[in-house]
Amino acid sequence: MVHLTGAILLAAGCGWLGFQAAEGLRRKSRSFRQLAQALALVERELELGAPPLPQLLERVAGRSAGPAKQLLEACRRGLDRLEEEDFSQLWRRQVAAMEILGAEGQAVLSPLGDVLGRYEGRAQQERTAAVRRGLEELAGRWEEERRRQGRVYQVLGLSAGAFLVILLL
Amino acid sequence: MERKTTWQAYRQAVRALPRRLQQEALSLEEEEQSRAEELRLRVGWPMTVLLPEGERALGGAPVESRELDQLLEIASQASVHAVLDQLRRGYLTIEGGHRIGLCGTAAMESGEIRTLRTLSSASIRVARQIKGVCAPVLDGLCPGGRLADTLILSPPGQGKTTLLRDLIRAVSCGEGCHPQRVSLADERGEVAALYRGTPQLEVGPRTDVVEGCPKAQGLMLLLRAMNPQVLAVDEITAPEDVAALETAAGCGVTLLATAHGWNREDLERRPIYRAMLEKKLFRFCVQIKREDESRSYIVEELR
Repeated sequence: MVHLTGAILLAAGCGWLGFQAAEGLRRKSRSFRQLAQALALVERELELGAPPLPQLLERVAGRSAGPAKQLLEACRRGLDRLEEEDFSQLWRRQVAAMEILGAEGQAVLSPLGDVLGRYEGRAQQERTAAVRRGLEELAGRWEEERRRQGRVYQVLGLSAGAFLVILLL
Repeated sequence: MERKTTWQAYRQAVRALPRRLQQEALSLEEEEQSRAEELRLRVGWPMTVLLPEGERALGGAPVESRELDQLLEIASQASVHAVLDQLRRGYLTIEGGHRIGLCGTAAMESGEIRTLRTLSSASIRVARQIKGVCAPVLDGLCPGGRLADTLILSPPGQGKTTLLRDLIRAVSCGEGCHPQRVSLADERGEVAALYRGTPQLEVGPRTDVVEGCPKAQGLMLLLRAMNPQVLAVDEITAPEDVAALETAAGCGVTLLATAHGWNREDLERRPIYRAMLEKKLFRFCVQIKREDESRSYIVEELR
């Protein structure tokens, strides 16, 4: 009975690891997608009337989700402490803290902090669009990766579980 | 007469400074903070404070160029794009109505200032509203309890804008006269100092403000959009302003305006104002006389 319980737990654990690995890929592509959507909203706000950054970040954060929402909200809060840290540094620091983006994603998103609020509305819009396209490309790449590898991880997890169960029994 | 803010206004204004300069500005004694009119920053020189008795260095290290950039970043809340129009005019208004004047190397485009590329100096002017300054003239300007068409006249720096603001506030509140809807064309944001849509200086509950556009256009917008009973404008300087006021007068709106000048004779010597006087747009003219700290007013009937 103990053996059976152990084997079931082991199989479930291995399966869970496989599903987690697949879920990580899905989360990554979804995060890039959410960030790209948020930047599309930023572009729209800049086009409509280029509001000051506090309003812009507040509005877009309110209509965003996931890491995009967290990033925009953290930057909005940071605007109340500009005497300690300027917006560019603040943005870079917050982006660097988003591990889910990886080095490649961070390299795409970080430079936007040097542009937002500093350039004229049209120039900000153009640069934001360029970053959004970069994120969409990464989202597409991770989506493809998920399709390719996600199923493999799940099957590997389950197979490893089954293999261990056979070995133990 | 109520002097609304003392050192709180100063403390609010210095929040626009980078941390080091903020601490330096706050090292000033409280009594001096309450009297300070401006803080001045010039690259390569220590920050100074302007008191009624004169300008004095605060004794800190010289201001660095990057600190002026930081000042702009803080004052605009990292939103230079949203204050570019103000920057082109050389100043921006921050919360509390305090005004930051900036100068440096201008970047030109089509013969006009596009922006300031490198900042060299800045001044932070502490906004303080003096309520009640219109009390001595209010009765005389409101025959039958309603404000009559009024022109405020004085040379620069004598308190025209202060009197205009207080008259607007009093009429809008119905303080000493019948309350009326006032529309204000505040081209440079000196009267109401809008910040995120809220007047930072009190102009009353029945006052609508348009700012950032030429006075004549602002006046016509207000006339069309806000159905004012009183139309107020600071500093009539162009024939278009007079034309807009004439249109408003034709619609039965009461006019309240200011102009640079010593007295009526001085106005009559200048073509723009002469035409305005001939058209009898204003019933009363208020002249401001200032001696040391005190002001006196002369009300003259024009028609």
